[in-house]
Amino acid sequence: MAHVSVPMYWRTIPQRYKMIGQKCKKCGHVNFPPKGVCKYCSVSSEFEDLQLSGRGKVHTFVLISSGGAPPEFAEQEKAGGMYPVAIVELAEGPKVIGQIADADPKTVKIGMPVKTELRKIYTEEDVIRYGFKFVPATEEK
Amino acid sequence: MAVGISGYGVFIPRLRIKREEYVKAWGSFAAAGVAEKSVMGFDEDVLTSAAKVSKRALESVPLSPDKVSRFALASTSPPYTEKLLSGTVLVTVGVPNATYSSDHTTSTRAGTEAIIAGFEHVMANPKGIALVAAADAPRASMWGSVEHQLGAGAAAYVLSSENLVAELEGHASNVTEHFGERFKPRDDPLLHDLNVKKFAEGALISNTTKAASSLMKKLNRKPEEYQHVVIQQPDAKVPSSVGGKLGFTEPQLAAGLVSKNLGDLGAASVPVGLAAVLDIAKVGDKVLVVSYGSGAGADALSFKVVGDRKAVPRVQAEMDRKEYIEYVKYLKLKGAIV
Repeated sequence: MAHVSVPMYWRTIPQRYKMIGQKCKKCGHVNFPPKGVCKYCSVSSEFEDLQLSGRGKVHTFVLISSGGAPPEFAEQEKAGGMYPVAIVELAEGPKVIGQIADADPKTVKIGMPVKTELRKIYTEEDVIRYGFKFVPATEEK
Repeated sequence: MAVGISGYGVFIPRLRIKREEYVKAWGSFAAAGVAEKSVMGFDEDVLTSAAKVSKRALESVPLSPDKVSRFALASTSPPYTEKLLSGTVLVTVGVPNATYSSDHTTSTRAGTEAIIAGFEHVMANPKGIALVAAADAPRASMWGSVEHQLGAGAAAYVLSSENLVAELEGHASNVTEHFGERFKPRDDPLLHDLNVKKFAEGALISNTTKAASSLMKKLNRKPEEYQHVVIQQPDAKVPSSVGGKLGFTEPQLAAGLVSKNLGDLGAASVPVGLAAVLDIAKVGDKVLVVSYGSGAGADALSFKVVGDRKAVPRVQAEMDRKEYIEYVKYLKLKGAIV
């Protein structure tokens, strides 16, 4: 399992629980997840926090089934079955990777509108690591 | 100053298991009147559900999370027995860190405990806004008949003195010493139930009827003056037994009887039932809710509907959004195969 220490995970809470991104003060591009140096202008390391909407569209996706899951997600696959992992283009621009929850994997499509909500990602050292997953956004406004 | 409910939100996990699955596996199904029940997915728990309903409740007002001055969380099935639980929800929703919060976890009465705690805050602070979330997915051994009834769901309420949907008319409680019904010993994550049915039913009936009748006496209210009554739903029959003793009829219980399709929602039973009532209630309707927690105690609260603003999605829409699973998948999701 890719080990992520508790303090290291803790530092990512704003992005994982609340979709806090960063806006580059030099070029104005939105970075998510937050970076040390702006991914777009490769110059600036000055940002301001930006609350993202959590909404986006599926850019592309794969379905992870038996044997395909990394160790931290193996139990999820065994208990819950095949699950989709997508690259989602957020409304603010950045493309981000995440699981799609609460949907029949067979109904996931490119271009489908999704939004983030809090889920259990995995458990390590008996500590539940929470964070965002994407869910279909069509059911409500 | 009138205080009451300014907004509410519900969430029902998407997965369902039908009673027939239990009959196939065990030969019988012990939850009276329950046709199917809701089940949480592998990556859901009461904290993720509480975060979701808290956001929905604030959106229904609508109200920004930074206005919340009191937060209370209720559940009998939290993921930790020691660790503050509110923090996960509070941070996710964006409620200010300086907000006083409390976790209510030791019986299925926890939902109304948290609601009353929220009302105490808004009564003491006229500008105060309380956000209360009840989420539950109780667990028991697959060998116990109490397991059959256990479902999953969540509801949250925004309580304040402004923008009211329903005004609080009063509340009353009753507490006694009972044991041997539903309980969870320290060091065991699973519910025990010694199955002394008549004894347990006696504790439930005596606490709920005492809390409800003392409230009705205080308000000078007759049973027929209530359009809707929600009573703790360990199954779909208990509300009729209690309601019958208090002089209520089936039509008064119908709108809030969510256990038929969702099972026993534990600390979220009365909160979800009340949301189902608010979804269809008309201005002027009177609503009585009565919770029960083993050990034992009951809270009764009386509301008058004063606004017709409804939350999105409705409880019925959440009930209709579903995917059926088989019993073996249920065992896997519940972590019952080790």
